[in-house]
Amino acid sequence: MAIVGFGNLGRGLARVLIEKSEFLRRTQGLIPRVVAVVDEHGAAVDEDGLDLRRLLRVAERKGTVAAHPKGKRGKSALEIIEGTEADVVFELTPTNIKTGEPGLTHIKKAMQAEKHVITSNKGPLVVAFKELDSLARRCGVEFRYSASVGGGVPVIGLAKGLLAGNEIRAIRGVLNGTTNYILTRMSKENAPFDVVLHEAQELGIAEKDPTLDIEGIDTACKITILANSLLGVNARLRDVRVAGIRNVRPEAIRLAREAGYVIKLVGVAKRDLLEVGPKLVPLGHPLAVGGTLNAVTFELDLAREITITGFGAGPQETSSSLLGDLIDIHRVLGG
Amino acid sequence: MPGQLVKVLEPISSFGGNIQSVVHRRERKTPLGRVPVTIIFDVGERVRLNRILRAFRSMGVRIIRIGEREGAVRSTVLLVGHIVHTDIRDTIDRLNELGGVMVSDLSLAMGRVGQESAARMTIAADDERRTALALSKLEKISARKKLLVIKSVEGM
Ligand SMILES: NC(=O)c1ccc[n+]([C@@H]2O[C@H](COP(=O)([O-])OP(=O)(O)OC[C@H]3O[C@@H](n4cnc5c(N)ncnc54)[C@H](OP(=O)(O)O)[C@@H]3O)[C@@H](O)[C@H]2O)c1
Repeated sequence: MAIVGFGNLGRGLARVLIEKSEFLRRTQGLIPRVVAVVDEHGAAVDEDGLDLRRLLRVAERKGTVAAHPKGKRGKSALEIIEGTEADVVFELTPTNIKTGEPGLTHIKKAMQAEKHVITSNKGPLVVAFKELDSLARRCGVEFRYSASVGGGVPVIGLAKGLLAGNEIRAIRGVLNGTTNYILTRMSKENAPFDVVLHEAQELGIAEKDPTLDIEGIDTACKITILANSLLGVNARLRDVRVAGIRNVRPEAIRLAREAGYVIKLVGVAKRDLLEVGPKLVPLGHPLAVGGTLNAVTFELDLAREITITGFGAGPQETSSSLLGDLIDIHRVLGG
Repeated sequence: MPGQLVKVLEPISSFGGNIQSVVHRRERKTPLGRVPVTIIFDVGERVRLNRILRAFRSMGVRIIRIGEREGAVRSTVLLVGHIVHTDIRDTIDRLNELGGVMVSDLSLAMGRVGQESAARMTIAADDERRTALALSKLEKISARKKLLVIKSVEGM
């Protein structure tokens, strides 16, 4: 495999591959070999398999994988994708929801080079879901993106797997850990939005520029991906009606609580409605999860309602989804 | 199936009732294959209602629940913004203008001077259709008054 993007997730995946190598061999008969890793500065390549421990050390110390003995500064992701013998490409570069780049081009080139693709990057999925989905089919490769929605929570995998016999009527979800943390803290401390946002930034839960999270756009991206991948609609980000949480005041949270509700940023995907906004969730409702947790409820014709909850971000948690996709491809291909 | 339903509805009109809505809850079919139907109708007198109900029973229709209700469907909604400034009285009046809809409760939490406030409103409507109408009217009014509307996740 080749890993494109070696930040939080790329490194988290590398760590998990080291820790789990014996487990993967024993339980899945899978012996993953990483032949190339690339970041913005350059790449490290070894067709015999890179030593991931060493690679992690180098990347931590020097800030790029290009500083590895097998590394080369200036070697680009496209050269890696087209020029190495990897079967699977992990696309883990930053999300750009306007252009989808650089991930979009990486994914297309990988598919055209007949490589399976696993990504956590929402950008390409939001911008070109249908295009990528059909390109994968035409190229005869597997395309997986479990990590793009729900982090470690197997939202897409559950729906496409054991729930496949159901018609999904609606998907409702708390899909953004940052805003859920902020709303939970506001509720517990009766504190204003700005104060709690600042605290979340200091704890590293919110980014320096938290706009995408607090304006509800990150959740809208995930709703777009779920609508496309699970409801079979051809939805764009602009089809989602979005309201963020910036205007949710402590007074509103108090009034909600007095009536037995909490306020959560909830995304809804139905065939005829895509919406994100702060909503009243009854205390005790499965979506009333606290802290940075994510939760998704499927409304189904057979099973009625199923909710899953868990950690929506973090390198270790999210690598559960990345690894799940890898194992799934390994099985599909009869490995 | 539709033929059967039409037959079930017959006593209502033959005893002078006026059907307003029929909701066929096929998705709630019972294990024995019975399909719940919610019928809302007006009827002038109590005796006529009793006749209609008797006719239903004799046709083998099981009556699960009868509601002679006004304002039976309650929903809670929050508003955030310059609620007082944008005339909360007017917001409420315009909702009450809808038939079968009433704002039955209001709690206000004022922000500091010049700041936004929050309000919690209970809307009582005679049925779910009217609830939906009221909520969508409230959303339109709020969009114009630049208020944030926070609805319950359950009605979405
Ligand atoms: N972190 C999470 O918990 C999480 C969860 C779910 C999904 N995601 C998504 O997963 C993706 C990766 O997240 P992350 O947290 O790992 O991000 P990150 O820490 O910012 O890492 C991004 C990596 O991509 C590299 N990169 C940027 N442009 C590149 C290019 N043109 N070619 C090759 N490499 C390039 C960066 O290289 P340099 O370091 O050299 O700049 C960096 O190694 C994002 O799309 C994110 O939205 C993250």
